[in-house]
Amino acid sequence: MAGAIGTETGAILSGPGQTPRLGFGLSGVRAVLLPVALAVATLAAWQAFVVIGNIPPVILPSPVSTLRYIVEHWDILLTHAVPTTLESAIGFVLATLLGVLLAIVITYSTLAREALYPNLVFFQLIPKIALAPLFIIWLGIGMQSRVAFAVFIAFFPVVIATSAGFASVDRGMLRLCRSLTASEWQVFTHVRFPAALPHIFSGMKVAITLAIIGVIIGEFITAQAGLGYLIIFATARADTEVSMAAIVVLCVCGLLLYGLVALGEIAANRIFSADPA
Amino acid sequence: MAAQPSPRVANAPLTQPAAPLLRIAQVEKVYGGRQGPVRAVASASLEIGRGEFVSLLGPSGCGKSTLLMMIAGLETPTGGTIELDGSPVIRPRRDIGIIFQDATLLPWKTTIENVLFPIRILKLPLAPYRERARELLAMVGLGGFENHKPSQLSGGMRQRVAICRALIHDPAILLMDEPFSALDAITRDQMNEALSEIMDKTAKTVIFVTHSIREAAFLSDRVVVMGGRPSHVVLDERMPFGRPRRLAIEENPEFGRVVRHLRLTIEQAHGTAPTGRSAGGE
Repeated sequence: MAGAIGTETGAILSGPGQTPRLGFGLSGVRAVLLPVALAVATLAAWQAFVVIGNIPPVILPSPVSTLRYIVEHWDILLTHAVPTTLESAIGFVLATLLGVLLAIVITYSTLAREALYPNLVFFQLIPKIALAPLFIIWLGIGMQSRVAFAVFIAFFPVVIATSAGFASVDRGMLRLCRSLTASEWQVFTHVRFPAALPHIFSGMKVAITLAIIGVIIGEFITAQAGLGYLIIFATARADTEVSMAAIVVLCVCGLLLYGLVALGEIAANRIFSADPA
Repeated sequence: MAAQPSPRVANAPLTQPAAPLLRIAQVEKVYGGRQGPVRAVASASLEIGRGEFVSLLGPSGCGKSTLLMMIAGLETPTGGTIELDGSPVIRPRRDIGIIFQDATLLPWKTTIENVLFPIRILKLPLAPYRERARELLAMVGLGGFENHKPSQLSGGMRQRVAICRALIHDPAILLMDEPFSALDAITRDQMNEALSEIMDKTAKTVIFVTHSIREAAFLSDRVVVMGGRPSHVVLDERMPFGRPRRLAIEENPEFGRVVRHLRLTIEQAHGTAPTGRSAGGE
């Protein structure tokens, strides 16, 4: 499960209470330096282990040789990074749209909520990765298959987070809207949606990491192009260095996509923040 | 409404010169409870003239808030009729302004945007109301706070914003549901004095729900006491104080006498023996 490395970083960053901030205070410097120092130390230890232990590159390439491969063959890696990133992004956007839409349905229709919600939770218990090969049968080995699988595994956290956000609206505010003869649509655009935005973004942050996992799994089994394909292909030929390089690039792509979502969150926060402008 | 004779005059006659703005006739509210139906309000009848400040006073659970919510069109009476300005209230209406116990401001909007919220909902042109919002904020002492967010304001200031928001679309009547009960005692006194001043300026018709006897006596032209089981109107009394009013009138022996009378009425309605406590408190 090499694909999980890039996405794990995102999952950790999206952990509770970890909202990205732009301004760093003195404690902020410490908060950045400490994890960076640990990462550098780990890489150094890895390098030392490989060099001193004389570990063959087929078993474990060193960080330096991996980096050298990336520098020398960046064009090959880029060719494979583009479809992976693109498909992950498309899967993520569709998963977000589907998730928000389902949350709206659940919020506004009691019938839909009662019928849908238990099934969604049950559905979440299925080990969805096991279903990946079926997507090939249903949708072929093209991009649509991987994107569909990415949506399939990524939309759930968006539904849960968004419907929690819609439900979090102050009841007094809803009563005020009702007293002002506001339409449901006005309540949604003026109150419910802005109030739910922080929840929606926390769902989206989980969804982007899951979408990448979905695409990588899709690439593992459809084997056409992409970083997942490259990892499987290189591993089969005992080209561990290539696999490792592909994983590193995957991490970078994952961080890039996650960063875009985080930037979107900051932009939304600017508009819908309770803090002074 | 300026053409109407203002009842904001000391010792105004009890008879209403014109048709009342609000007419509540035998209104009743029965909730279907688990242990049989509960009558929250039993046959309440009340008429309120233009420009009057009327308090609905009573202990918790006396049905005063339920009655107010029915006047607002947010609750449906199970019996009787409510008429505002000649037409029945059967659902929320745009000529009603409401202030709740909590300010319920949008935390991400500035003060002035919160005041303009009803204008956006009612789809009225924003530009002319922006100026009015500024004037209202200045009137409640929040000039210069237009671009602050609610998190930067104190509880009392937030409730002043809510008052401006309720007034922005110039509703025929202002309904206030225990608006200051979440504030500390000192802020509450200040808010009462400020509200009295604001209402003298705007001459709005106000229905003010409270369980504070002093607050009701200080603010109102008329105090309507609700109580008993099932709850009904126990007393409807005009307050014999002139305007403008300052908090100092609470030192007045006449004020003490009125408060004592209201307290006794409430206690009798609840079947509790009068206690020996001082009449000045809540």
